[in-house]
Amino acid sequence: MSGSRPQPTDARPQDLPVKAELPRLRVEYVKDSRLAFLGHLDLIATVERCIRRARLPFSVGNGFARRVRIQFTSALPVGASSTCEYFDLRLTERLDADEALALLRAATPSALEPVRAAYVPGRLPALEAWLNRSSWEVAAPGCAFDAAQIARAVEAVRERGELTYLRGQKEKRVDVAATLAGFEARDVDGGVELSVETRLAGCALRPQVLLDAATDVLGLPRVAAPRVRRVGQAHEESGRLVEPFGPFCEKDGTPLS
Amino acid sequence: MRARRENLFHLLEPLLPHVEHPARYLDHEWGAVSDQDGPFHLCMVYADVYEVGQPNLGVAILYNQVNAQEGMSCERCYLPWKDMAGLMREHGVPLLSLEGAAPLASFDAIGFTLAHELIATNVLETLDLAGIALTSAERDEDDPIVLAGGPSAWNCEPLAAVFDAVLLGDGEESIVEVCSCIRDARAEGVARAELLRRLATVPGTYVPSLYDVRVDEASTRWGYAVPRAGEAAPEVVRKRCVNDFAATDAVAQRIVPYMGIVQDRLSLEVLRGCARGCRFCQAGMTYRPVRERPAAQVVSCGVEGLLSSGHNEVSLTSLSTTDHSQCEEILRGMNAELEGKGIRVSIPSQRLDSFGVDMAAAVAGGKRGGLTFAPEAGSQRLRDVINKNVTEEDLESAARNAFEAGWRRMKLYFMMGLPTETDEDVVGIARMAERVLEIGREVVGRGAKSGVSVSISVAVLVPKAFTPFQWCGQLDPDEVRRRQQLLLHEIRDRAIRVSYHDADVSLVEGALSKMGRSGFALVRRAWELGCSFDAWTSEFSFELWERAAAECGLDLADVACEEFPLSARLPWDHTSPGVSKGFLQREWLRAVEGVTTPDCTRTSCTGCGVCPALGVHNVIQGVRS
Ligand code: SF4
Repeated sequence: MSGSRPQPTDARPQDLPVKAELPRLRVEYVKDSRLAFLGHLDLIATVERCIRRARLPFSVGNGFARRVRIQFTSALPVGASSTCEYFDLRLTERLDADEALALLRAATPSALEPVRAAYVPGRLPALEAWLNRSSWEVAAPGCAFDAAQIARAVEAVRERGELTYLRGQKEKRVDVAATLAGFEARDVDGGVELSVETRLAGCALRPQVLLDAATDVLGLPRVAAPRVRRVGQAHEESGRLVEPFGPFCEKDGTPLS
Repeated sequence: MRARRENLFHLLEPLLPHVEHPARYLDHEWGAVSDQDGPFHLCMVYADVYEVGQPNLGVAILYNQVNAQEGMSCERCYLPWKDMAGLMREHGVPLLSLEGAAPLASFDAIGFTLAHELIATNVLETLDLAGIALTSAERDEDDPIVLAGGPSAWNCEPLAAVFDAVLLGDGEESIVEVCSCIRDARAEGVARAELLRRLATVPGTYVPSLYDVRVDEASTRWGYAVPRAGEAAPEVVRKRCVNDFAATDAVAQRIVPYMGIVQDRLSLEVLRGCARGCRFCQAGMTYRPVRERPAAQVVSCGVEGLLSSGHNEVSLTSLSTTDHSQCEEILRGMNAELEGKGIRVSIPSQRLDSFGVDMAAAVAGGKRGGLTFAPEAGSQRLRDVINKNVTEEDLESAARNAFEAGWRRMKLYFMMGLPTETDEDVVGIARMAERVLEIGREVVGRGAKSGVSVSISVAVLVPKAFTPFQWCGQLDPDEVRRRQQLLLHEIRDRAIRVSYHDADVSLVEGALSKMGRSGFALVRRAWELGCSFDAWTSEFSFELWERAAAECGLDLADVACEEFPLSARLPWDHTSPGVSKGFLQREWLRAVEGVTTPDCTRTSCTGCGVCPALGVHNVIQGVRS
């Protein structure tokens, strides 16, 4: 049913050979709540079309599919929105970044509005692996627990070290100790709000999975439709955090690799 | 009672985490018309899921047309998949439009696209989910006016009771006239019955409720329809036809979906109609005459459409794109304009000769997937019967050409159950496949590594209204199975693969194509028993259809396989695509004698009647070869 839509196999854009000297434009965009249910592949196809519509001087790969040379950040879980998604686009000429942003905004549905664009060093590693830290906000309206309870339950989950859950038919194992970098819960009107910090280390920790595991610990029914939003992404290296747009250190001990 | 117009997305949103492909229900795509102020509101409905309905060109054309009118808005609606429909019923959420998330039941009019016969139960499912009465007779004064149109409106009798009005033929002009008529009548406060009468005065508009069905010795068991006593409705409603096709917008698809859809590309309708005259083909008879767009328009609009949509593929669609007199010029122009932009051009079907292969090569770039041809029948005799004007030599030279040009996989389409078909013709399918395979091996080599293969796909002929085969019965399912076995038995080479269309699905399609107005009982019962999404192999249930038929005192095979006398008044005789019944009768008689009829865009008029009846003519930009 998918017709010619991009597949995550052989000709992935991120696998295309990239000439390091091609200008690399990094774009920050949002994914608002209505599009929270748009899957990652559909998102990739949509962004590619926005780029074509914006008539940016994009570079295309050499394969038959002639894909736009673009890289994305790690997939958001379906159902999650975001204030801070990124893609890196290889251009054939160094168009002014603000001008590129303006062109993109005019060609993108507002639900995916690009908010910032700047050139980054061409030799940075691929976005998906490089942005290894995420901050999340989770709203659990109408939940049966309070902030203190859920915080204790999350601590219990962390102490167990590993978490397994079913995604479709597949069993997933998440190393909670390694992937959970921070957690906070607040009581708000009508429920609880959580802030979750995650780190890339093997299988990704999804905020909703953590929440489900914690409610299981409490022996309470799972929150039916928590609202999950990614609110920050960063690169972590040797305990230091680098923002997506830098500043990038060029010397030894560089947080680039 | 008309539902209140309001945005109810907040009722749908909580259901999204619990359904497959929630992107089906999101709307807000690039190019969607978000400004839906009305005050007249139409909703176009394609009664299948989003990814199947969204590529439909007919919906796109009418959507643009109505939205371009002052004071009129048009939204879209697709049928939710079963999981979502279940949740909506459970939570009391009615069917909503996409753009405004407004209840379907709040619209002034809703318009169904009848893309094929098997969509029938989905039409009922849509109305039910919307809380709109299933039949015209059951609707209240204030309820939306339920319209329909599209290819399967040619014989819409089994659903006639559902629709308040059916738009026959090209809809781009008539949809606006119909909407204006509804708007004005509502503004004047006229009664629904009177409004329907007025609709019948809009040319090309068939209002079923103004007709009675009579069964007598001159008719089939389904009878024929005549204007009810005292009603001024026309005895025969003729289709609408846009003769100045080049004046219409070449790019109809302005909405760019988020999710992957069935045809994820920009479609350009490069020509409308086909006059090759294949005698089984309903589209060939009902879309006449042939109207080509000028090459320059196709190229410039295609490039503009690609730039403004961001698609990376453009498909040049029509019933027979390679027949366009400027096909070569178009492809050359497109390729030149799109050079280096990472954009593919595709043509959906090619004609069965060397020119077809050349054109396929022109769009394929370096890629050589499978190449498809449709000889339709396995012997020259039978191809003459169906007026498929290709010879053995055409096929052989096309195949040789294709193998030489680098293709390795050849796909051949055939039909089974064609009139006068014998076992010899069936065996001929196997021989033809072997011949093509042999040519491939001659050209490419014999080893297993040569990769030469032939696959054949065999459908069952479903006789359709307004074709020369409309009087024929469908081949009995047991006989279909016997002939399928015969063919399988005849195929000895493992490089030839055979696939069949499901004979049961074809039987239901055949019954729906053949029945008159009383056939609605069957459709309704099938839907009540749980049939929907019948075009999906995973969802189709022959058992339920059989049970529904039995409960209505019908037998599906008996209905589909019944022959009608050539002189009989047919259930659909009161509607007309302009092709005369006399022409169809003549074509039937020529078929039986194996006499072919040429293509009027390449020779002279063969007298089908469309041009004089509708005051139109073929519009050919160059000279067809
Ligand atoms: S009336 Fe004649 S010219 Fe016109 S479509 Fe029919 S056969 Fe062709």
